[in-house]
Amino acid sequence: MASSSDATSSAGSTPDPSEPSESGSTPETSEVPERRGRVRLRRAAVMAVPATALAAGLMILTAQGALGVQFAISGMPFTVTATELNGEGFAQFGGLDHMAEGSPNEGDTGGQVLVVVSAIKKATLTKLCQSVDLGGTNLLIRAGEGKEKVSAVNLTTDSTELSGDAAFDNIEIGNDASTLDKSHAQGPKGVFSQQADTVHIANLRQTNYATTAAVFKLPGLKLSFSDKGC
Amino acid sequence: MVAFRRWRAARPFWGGLLLALGGAEILLTEKASLKVVMHIGMQGLAGYLLPAVMLICGLLILFNPAQRLFYSICGVLLSLGTWLTSNLGGFLVGLLLGVVGSCLTFGWLPDQEPRQSRLRWRRGRQTSAQHP
Repeated sequence: MASSSDATSSAGSTPDPSEPSESGSTPETSEVPERRGRVRLRRAAVMAVPATALAAGLMILTAQGALGVQFAISGMPFTVTATELNGEGFAQFGGLDHMAEGSPNEGDTGGQVLVVVSAIKKATLTKLCQSVDLGGTNLLIRAGEGKEKVSAVNLTTDSTELSGDAAFDNIEIGNDASTLDKSHAQGPKGVFSQQADTVHIANLRQTNYATTAAVFKLPGLKLSFSDKGC
Repeated sequence: MVAFRRWRAARPFWGGLLLALGGAEILLTEKASLKVVMHIGMQGLAGYLLPAVMLICGLLILFNPAQRLFYSICGVLLSLGTWLTSNLGGFLVGLLLGVVGSCLTFGWLPDQEPRQSRLRWRRGRQTSAQHP
């Protein structure tokens, strides 16, 4: 009896290596003949601390716009107007946007839209207006009509039409889109592009398919439905 | 019921369950159809692949707890990866479930044999309880 209990205790399969007299006095251990386990906090922390740090790092990087987040465009064009746009670090090149598969807005486009990608590192806009035609009514967003202007960091717009009175400083036209360095974005190799140190556009009017920005501040935001677009 | 409790006590039950739930939650948040995934390629496939492997790791922790260290390390890395691939980690919920589950699994240990000194201490306490 004693030898057998010794053997099992060394193998570690039963938690009760004690003498028969003692096992009779501790009924809890004799009820559970298997090995139980539990979480050791210090051991869990060995993994929890670096995991938390990594997760926080990922979120901060995403918030700063350093990590890209992919999404499909809806295929609904929207109009953006502003009385004035001032930007630093401007780049522009051609690109192709994809709609979600089977989107009702595909039409005969095959779900792809040829767009002009405009990237501006730091932009301020006066009297921004954005409208989406929902068929009969327009979703209208206005901002920056007061003293404070709309500001954006790492603003990227994918547009099909752009009009306004533009002025550029130190413009370079005809670069390869993959060599752009004045703004935050670069295009594919072998695509025509242009870039400039600063950009100033008055009476801006854009038809866009997508807009992304790392930071987009809209002071005095007003959202409403309206019969007329911008 | 007693059998289930015994089964549960012998493995990192909550850790595995949370990791599996996290993977399932992220899979549920994915709405892209298979056609879109095939169209986008590896980027789209990863969105499904990572939470699916998370789910498998969670189940393996439950049914093969001997390899829990490997599964939990895989689980935590996959959970963090879903932030980039799968809707910001199932809108954060699945990511948190996965990380917490992996950490619980990593920290889980079966009860060791009491050390010789502890055994003696316990015995001394018992005798004192019997003869106050």
